Amino acid sequence: MLRKSLLYMSLFLYCLFYGGFANSQASRDYISIVGSSTVYPFTTVAAERYGRSTNFKTPKVESTGSGGGLKLFCGGIGAQHPDITNSSRAIKDSEIRLCAENGISEIIEVKIGYDGIVLSNSLEAKSFNLTLKEIFLALAKNIPDASGKIISNPYQKWNEINPKLPDQAIEIMGPPPTSGTRDAFVELAMEGGCKAFSSIRDLKNSNGDRYKSICHGIREDGAFIEAGENDNLIIQKLETNPNALGIFGYSFLDQNNDKVKGTLVDSVEPTFENIAEGSYPISRPLYFYVKKAHVGVIPGLKEFLREFTSERAWGEDGYLSDRGLIPMPDEERFMVGEAVNSLTAM
Amino acid sequence: MKLETLFLFLIALSIISYYIAMRRAIMSVDSQQSISKLHSMPTYHGYYAVICSFVPPMIIIFLWLVFEQRVISTLLISNFSNIKVLSQGEINLFLTNVQNTLYSNLFSQDGTRFQSEIQQATIILKSYQSISRIILSVFAIAVSIIGIITVHRKINQNYRARNKFENAVSKLLMTSSLVAIFTTIGIVLSVLFESFRFFNEVSFWDFIFGTEWSPQTALRDDQVGSSGSFGILPLFVGTILITIIAMLVAGPIGLMTAIYLGQYASPRFRNIAKPLLEVLAGIPTVVYGFFAALTLAPFLRTWGESVGLNVASESALAAGMVMGIMIIPLISSLSDDAINAVPIAMSEGALGLGSTESEVIKKVVLPAALPGIVGGFLLAISRAIGETMIVVMAAGLSANLTVNPLEAVTTVTVQIVTLLVGDQEFDSAKTLAAFALGLVLFIVTLGLNVFGLYIVRKYREQYE
Amino acid sequence: MSKKNLSLSTQQKVRKSLSSRYKKETLFQYFGLSSLSVGIIFLVIFFYSVLSQGFSAFTQTYISLKVDFSDNLVVKNNKIDSIDSNFDAIIRSALRERFPEVNNRRDRRELYKLISIGAVYQLIDHLDMSPGDVGSREILSFPTSSDVDMYVKGNIDRKLDESKRTISNNQMMWIDELVEKGEIKMKFNSALFSNGDSREPELAGIYSALKGSFLMLFITLIVSFPVGIAAAIYLEEFAPKNKISDLIEVNINNLAAVPSIVFGLLGLAVFINWFGIPRSSPLVGGLVLSLLTLPVIIISSRAAITAIPPSIKEAALGVGASHMQVVAHHILPLAFPGMLTGAIIGMSRALGESAPLLMIGMVAFIVDIPSVITDPSSALPVQIYLWADSPERAFAERTSAAIIILLGFLLTMNLLAIYLRKKFERKW
Repeated sequence: MLRKSLLYMSLFLYCLFYGGFANSQASRDYISIVGSSTVYPFTTVAAERYGRSTNFKTPKVESTGSGGGLKLFCGGIGAQHPDITNSSRAIKDSEIRLCAENGISEIIEVKIGYDGIVLSNSLEAKSFNLTLKEIFLALAKNIPDASGKIISNPYQKWNEINPKLPDQAIEIMGPPPTSGTRDAFVELAMEGGCKAFSSIRDLKNSNGDRYKSICHGIREDGAFIEAGENDNLIIQKLETNPNALGIFGYSFLDQNNDKVKGTLVDSVEPTFENIAEGSYPISRPLYFYVKKAHVGVIPGLKEFLREFTSERAWGEDGYLSDRGLIPMPDEERFMVGEAVNSLTAM
Repeated sequence: MKLETLFLFLIALSIISYYIAMRRAIMSVDSQQSISKLHSMPTYHGYYAVICSFVPPMIIIFLWLVFEQRVISTLLISNFSNIKVLSQGEINLFLTNVQNTLYSNLFSQDGTRFQSEIQQATIILKSYQSISRIILSVFAIAVSIIGIITVHRKINQNYRARNKFENAVSKLLMTSSLVAIFTTIGIVLSVLFESFRFFNEVSFWDFIFGTEWSPQTALRDDQVGSSGSFGILPLFVGTILITIIAMLVAGPIGLMTAIYLGQYASPRFRNIAKPLLEVLAGIPTVVYGFFAALTLAPFLRTWGESVGLNVASESALAAGMVMGIMIIPLISSLSDDAINAVPIAMSEGALGLGSTESEVIKKVVLPAALPGIVGGFLLAISRAIGETMIVVMAAGLSANLTVNPLEAVTTVTVQIVTLLVGDQEFDSAKTLAAFALGLVLFIVTLGLNVFGLYIVRKYREQYE
Repeated sequence: MSKKNLSLSTQQKVRKSLSSRYKKETLFQYFGLSSLSVGIIFLVIFFYSVLSQGFSAFTQTYISLKVDFSDNLVVKNNKIDSIDSNFDAIIRSALRERFPEVNNRRDRRELYKLISIGAVYQLIDHLDMSPGDVGSREILSFPTSSDVDMYVKGNIDRKLDESKRTISNNQMMWIDELVEKGEIKMKFNSALFSNGDSREPELAGIYSALKGSFLMLFITLIVSFPVGIAAAIYLEEFAPKNKISDLIEVNINNLAAVPSIVFGLLGLAVFINWFGIPRSSPLVGGLVLSLLTLPVIIISSRAAITAIPPSIKEAALGVGASHMQVVAHHILPLAFPGMLTGAIIGMSRALGESAPLLMIGMVAFIVDIPSVITDPSSALPVQIYLWADSPERAFAERTSAAIIILLGFLLTMNLLAIYLRKKFERKW
């Protein structure tokens, strides 16, 4: 028994050694990408095509959220830190400072296109046509009443906001405050509707904090349901509950056209064309950031940038637009592409 | 010498040492007949020799490998005066470049600084590495041989090899049990510092006794929150509510299943049913989460509507029930162990006095197995409190302070996940709150377990 | 107690209560059986829903095309130059040849979308295998795009408005024609088992995740099983009853209850940031899972040891065995089946765990198959999580298929363990 177990133990140890130390090395020969879950579906497509069409290894793409990604990205330079981070918002000054503190002085910003944020409901339900103001009134925590006084949101049904809207309870599922989609939605839709009130607009200059707390505050009384960041789950919940609206990225609407439909905002339908030409009001730019110091060290980084910024990837008919990425206008695309391929840092 | 070869060589050495030591022990007594005069059996001399010849070189190899990379890198850099002065990050990049060139031949030419240095460094690195391996091999083998010789010289008739060997093994066993302590220290250290920073920003008492949890307060410079409250009471009420539902499902079912399988079921049936049940424990929690959110929750909702109840689509009930199903096997397997530990003589005695089987179970077996069963339940409760994926998908995020199982609640773990894996800036009070939550959760489970242990200790009985 | 009762003899009392006691007995037994059924019924419902959703993912539609290897290929030094050769054009011309009536550019683009982008890579592989085909015409079968696959499997409602479908009217017409002529066929989806992750559902496979899971489990097993058994033996047999042993004991029970995501934080802080083990590697995942599994194994191993009657130990000690000999010769072999049970529960927990892997970068898009434990890799449950979150419809059935495979993996493990346990089980 003892003799046998000793033998097994040494076999185990041997395996551990063989796998663990014999092949470990601090270098890295693949690109490491982290960051936003919104950009993830696009980056992975590009990474896969790049991996299949070149001799380089396929990049590793992690979905960590924009904030988490930038934190990792700004951790330092060297093989143990990622080369690229995806972000569904522009990098903040505080993050640039963090990067600089850790020796990352040159960052290349790549704007890759736009993403629309849509309000959707089940195909069986009635279609909505909302204005930004109505969206604000349905979702805000505090709203101004007729006299301009700020009261907590009294609306429980859509037809209380506007008699033309259906007689059903307000029930909207959306992402939690930690999500970049939520950030963008609040900034574009809520604030946009909020500004429609002149009393609040005046507040912007006199009391910026108050203005923000009114325009960005989402109600917490149950009409808005924080449904997590899994957008497929929201769609499935919408199917089972025709009374509810859901908030998510355009690419999910695009893939689930047979289950849910988009709500018209200011009478504009959330379609590819409308978002691309900018008539649909709720859309935001997507980015990724590259460490210039890693170009030339991590094999294939420059080639990956070239693949991503090629016309067959992010162009009008490129494979990224098939996945729901709204391409930038030709001119802007050309400019960004030039800057990226000449490795111009921010 | 390659590491694998060195390793094989050391194994061979220790096998040889086993036979040498054994032989030496046998030779140390006068003749084969009087082998019983040896203090320890020859094999123990062998085992001890194996330990002496194998363990020290292994420790050396391990430490060597931990520090090798750092030492070599420092030495390598010191050769290049123009690299030495660079920042740490740039030195890292240089090293990466050198290693990439050495291992993968994937040296990209354009945009690289210090091309010639890299080429030189690659050659130097290669030689350093082979020198390092040679020194290591010689060193390790020498230590191994010294170990063999030392033991070999000590072996005689009265040498207490068995005691020494057993001593060494029991030290090894003790070290293994210390791993648990190190893990705990590691966990505490990883959450403690961040928690302190959080309590610098948010008052501790507000955190513990606040009745409103609203992380909508985005504490980023340019984002605005509504109400900045970090009161964990609603989270705990939600957690406890879901745990209670789960235990109401799993407790009776798990225990009765264990009793049925242990006492009533035919061996054949048991052989089929028990492993089937264990499959429940292995279904990934992600899958349970999807099941709870997409099958059970809508079902409960329509059922509620049909009887006139308003069930939230993310009710605590759905999450709790599925979680209960998940922990059935845990409870039944642990209860089964506890019941099996009750000596069969006790129940046979009760049967002999004319009790029915259920009376035996209720009045003899269960009371005797109670400490073990309580221990199992406590483990299951801790598991339910700490479960993440099911509640992330099925319980939602709205922090309602309610005990109504039909409403949506949120739990501590859900908040940890949403706070940590989201699109926000790190180092804000929001992220730090996750660590504080982790710490509180850690303390709560600790309290629960100390209590459980106390119960088991106090009421445990030793049979036979 | 009434006087009437007192007048009865004990025997009469027993006889009188007998029927109700028997009733209670039966009731108790039925209660036990129904408890068991709850678990089993759930299992049946669960398996039914997963199997019915995921089964179709094991087949994939393939389209037969006659490809022309005479054009568009550049041969240098008797080898096909994969950079200058236009493989896309070969496929496209084959499609055009099949449907010569399609002329305008827009329609042609729709036509090209019938075929997976993986066809090109298949073509390259084919020519690598049989370079003799250059210049000839061959009939080969290629995977269709996932939309076609979904349509053929009936997951796309053809009555919907064209704008609401991922398949256009033209494409529907072509597919129907191909299906009718037998040029689109269902075949076993081997890509699911041999490929890594992909964003094209028809190319996506679980092999990289499976291998990652396997490597992680391997590390978990070799780290936590020996250490767990050793710790259990120490705590049950050798530990002095003092404060330190109490501390260790409380610690272990507590660790079993620490939320798994906290272990992820630990892994991030200690293994990645401190020891410098690469992110997303099975090594770091396996180590985190080991720490997670360790308490489970220790606790159940201890239970197995306590279940051994003290008489066995005392008898061995009585005939002069040392304590260590008692452990090695009696306690360990007798408790081993029980320890194995604990290890199975621990391992199955580790296999299905995804929360801590979130923290250490395993939620990643991995196409290449990991070969050593420091390569980046994914894990099966994480792959399920990722696919469940993918917008493409065809990933829904693949998610269920991955669940089926994961459960199959688990089942095999359990069967093996049951076999081992059966072989050694005994009752005192």
